[in-house]
Amino acid sequence: MSDFDKAIAQLRACRPIPEIQVRELCYKARELLIEEGNVVAVDAPVTICGDIHGQFHDLMELFRVGGDVPDTNYLFMGDFVDRGFYSLESFLLLLCLKVRYPDRITLIRGNHESRQITTVYGFYDECLRKYGSANVWRYCCDVFDYLALGALVMGAASELQGTDHAFVDPNAQATMPSADCDDLEIEILNQTGHIVSRFRRKDPPAPQPNDSQLSNPGSSPSQQPNHTPSRNGAPGTGATSSSRGSSSNAGASAVLCVHGGLSPLIDSIDKIRLLDRKQEVPHEGAMCDLLWSDPDEIEGWGLSPRGAGFLFGADIVKCFNHKNDLSLICRAHQLVMEGFKEMFDSTIVTVWSAPNYCYRCGNVAAILELGEWGANGGYAPRGNGDVGRSSGGGGGGGGNGVLAERVEQREGPGRRYRVFEAAPQDSRGMPAKKPVADYFL
Amino acid sequence: MSAVALGYLDDRFAKAFLAPGEQITKRYPIIHRGTYVRTTAIDKLVNRFLAAQPEQRKQVVSLGAGSDTRFFRLMADEQGGSPKSKVTYHELDFEANANQKRSILRQSTELSECLRRAEQDGSFYHLHAIDLRDLTNKSPPIIPELNPALPTLLLSECCLCYLPPDAAASVLQYFTVNLPGSLALILYEPIRPFDAFGKTMVSNLASRGIHLQTLKRYSSLQAQRQRLRLAGFSGGQGARDVHQLYGHDEWVLQGERERIEKLEWLDEVEEWKLLASHYCVAWGCRGELFGEAWQGIDGSRTGEEDQDELR
Repeated sequence: MSDFDKAIAQLRACRPIPEIQVRELCYKARELLIEEGNVVAVDAPVTICGDIHGQFHDLMELFRVGGDVPDTNYLFMGDFVDRGFYSLESFLLLLCLKVRYPDRITLIRGNHESRQITTVYGFYDECLRKYGSANVWRYCCDVFDYLALGALVMGAASELQGTDHAFVDPNAQATMPSADCDDLEIEILNQTGHIVSRFRRKDPPAPQPNDSQLSNPGSSPSQQPNHTPSRNGAPGTGATSSSRGSSSNAGASAVLCVHGGLSPLIDSIDKIRLLDRKQEVPHEGAMCDLLWSDPDEIEGWGLSPRGAGFLFGADIVKCFNHKNDLSLICRAHQLVMEGFKEMFDSTIVTVWSAPNYCYRCGNVAAILELGEWGANGGYAPRGNGDVGRSSGGGGGGGGNGVLAERVEQREGPGRRYRVFEAAPQDSRGMPAKKPVADYFL
Repeated sequence: MSAVALGYLDDRFAKAFLAPGEQITKRYPIIHRGTYVRTTAIDKLVNRFLAAQPEQRKQVVSLGAGSDTRFFRLMADEQGGSPKSKVTYHELDFEANANQKRSILRQSTELSECLRRAEQDGSFYHLHAIDLRDLTNKSPPIIPELNPALPTLLLSECCLCYLPPDAAASVLQYFTVNLPGSLALILYEPIRPFDAFGKTMVSNLASRGIHLQTLKRYSSLQAQRQRLRLAGFSGGQGARDVHQLYGHDEWVLQGERERIEKLEWLDEVEEWKLLASHYCVAWGCRGELFGEAWQGIDGSRTGEEDQDELR
C-alpha cells in the first residue's frame, strides 16, 4: 500500500493527515498541476460536480451515488473548501485522489480557492483549529494557485443510453420514453438510482413568433403559451434543446466547464489559455470573472451583486458557444435548490453538489454524467480542435448553417443528472456532531 | 456585536455587553447584513414615532429586550437634527436576563452616564423582571411606571414568537386593553416555515431546543398583517421581509447599500435571498398619532406575495 493509499484511507475516515504529509502531498500535487493548461482537456465519459464546500459526509454520499474513483471519471468545478466543517478533509482527499489517479479526476479552481476568501469563510480558521498553525492553510493555498481555470470535455455522446432501473413513480413509466429510444436527451435519477424522469429531444419547434424569446419552459417564469405543455421539463431542466433538424448529423461538440462563468474580456477559449493563472485570484479581470460570474435573465453584461465578476445573459452564452463550437457550458457557483438548473435553451447549466448547503438551506444536490460518444454504437466524434480552434466570427462558419440573425446552437450532449440529498446523520459517525446553522435570532 | 465591530452599525454601547476578556464572535457576512437591515428598519419606525408631535411624551415597551441597546442609542443620537419626544422606555425580560443587564448597566460608566443624562433631560429607563406569560394570568402583575395615558410603541424582536400562539395573543391583549390610547406594535420574526429552507430552519432550531411556536400560524407577511389587525391595531398594518427591506430605497438608501456592500465581500448571494426572505418586520397601529408618524411607509401586500400564494 503506497503512502497515498494510506492517506486516502485515513482521509476517507474523515481523519486529517499529519502536517508533514500534507506538505508532501501539496508538493506532489503542484508538480502535477503545473503541467496542466489553464483549460484541461477531459474525455467523456465524465461525471461533473459542483460546489462541495467542506461537506465531507455529503462528498462521501456523492461518491456512493456517482461511483468511486477510479471507477468513475470525475471533474470537480471548484469550491472544495469553506462553509462546511470538513474543508480540510474534503480538499485533501480530492487532492490525494488527484495525485494517485491523475487521469481519473480533474479539479478546477473555484472562487473560494483563494487566500482572501478562505480567511472570511472558514477554511483558514479550520486549519488553525486542526493543526495549531497556518502552515497547512499555506500549503493548500499554494496548490490553489496551480489549479486549472476550466476544463473542456471532449467526445461526449449526444444521445443518452437510459438506465434500466425502475421508475420512482411506476405510473410514469408508461408516459416516459424507453431506455433505448434513440433520441433520449435527459434522464434524472434519484440517489437510489431510480428514475425520476426522462426527456427526449424535442422535434423542431414551430417557428417562434418572436426570436428574442428563447427562454426555456423549465426555469423561466414567463412561459410562452405556445410551448407544448407536455414538453415542459422537470424543475431545473430546460428539456429540451432548441430547434435543430435530425439528431444524427454529428456528435455533440465540446462542453466547457468553469466555476463561475464568462468574462467580457474572454471571447474564445484560447484567450483563457493565454492567462497567467499561477497567482491569487485577482479582484478583477478575466481570471476573476471566470470564477465569479453568473448567468442571469438579462441581455448582455450586468453588474454582479457579489461585488466581483459579472452577470451575463443568454445572448452572451449563445454567441460564445457558437464561436467556440461548444454545445454546453457547465458551471457551478450558485446554490440551486433542485441541484441543477439549465438555462437559455440548455446552453448553460448550473450544477450544485452540496446538499442542504451550510446545513441550513434545505436544497438537494446533483451531479451530471456525460456519456462517451460511440459507447452506444454511435459514430465517431466530430473533430473538435483543441488548441487553435477555429475562431471565426458570429457570421460564418461551421457546418451548422447559421441563420442570418440568430446564432444556431450545437446539439447538446445527452445528460444524466443524479440528484441526491444530504448524507443521513448516522453516517457522520460517533459522536454525531450536530452542526449549528446560524440564523438571525 | 460583530456587525458593529465591522462598521455595519454604529453602536458605542454594544461593547459593554461583552464579558471581560470575551472575544467578539465573528459571524458571516449575511448575518451582519441581516442584523443591519433589522436594526435599521426598526430604528426608522421608532424614530418616526418619536419625531411626530415632539412636544408629546411617548412610551416604548420592549418585550424580551435582552441586551438591546436601542434606548441608549436613541439618547446618544444628538446629530438627529429634528426634535424628538421625551421617552419613558420599558424593557421587559426574564429575571435572570434583567439582573444580568442591570449589573452591566451598573458596571459600565458609559451606560450609567447615558442613563443619568437622559434622566436630566426627562427621559426615563425602566428594566422590569417579568415573565411575559404572567401577563396572561387572570390577575396579571402591574408594570411599574407604565403610563396608560401615553402614546405607546411595543417592540417584539424575536420574542412573542417563542410563546404559544394563544399566549402571544393574550400578551398583546394585556397592552391593548390597559393602554387605551395610541398604540402600535413592531414585530421582527421568522416567516415561511413551509418551503425547503423554512422546514430545515424549523428542524435545525428544534434540535437546539428552540421552538418558534407562532411561526406556523403567522407564516406569511399577509398572516402577520391579519394578526395585527385582529389584535386591535386597526389603524393600519404593514409587513416586509428583510430581503425586500434591504432592496428598497425607502428603508435602506442606495448610498447605504453601496457602503454595506463594500464592507465585506459577500459570496452568499443565493443564501442571502433565502435567509432574508424568511424574516420579516411587521407593524400595526391604532390612533391618529401613529397615522401621522408612519404616513407614507408602505407595507401593503405586494404582487410578489400574490404570486407566492399561487405557487
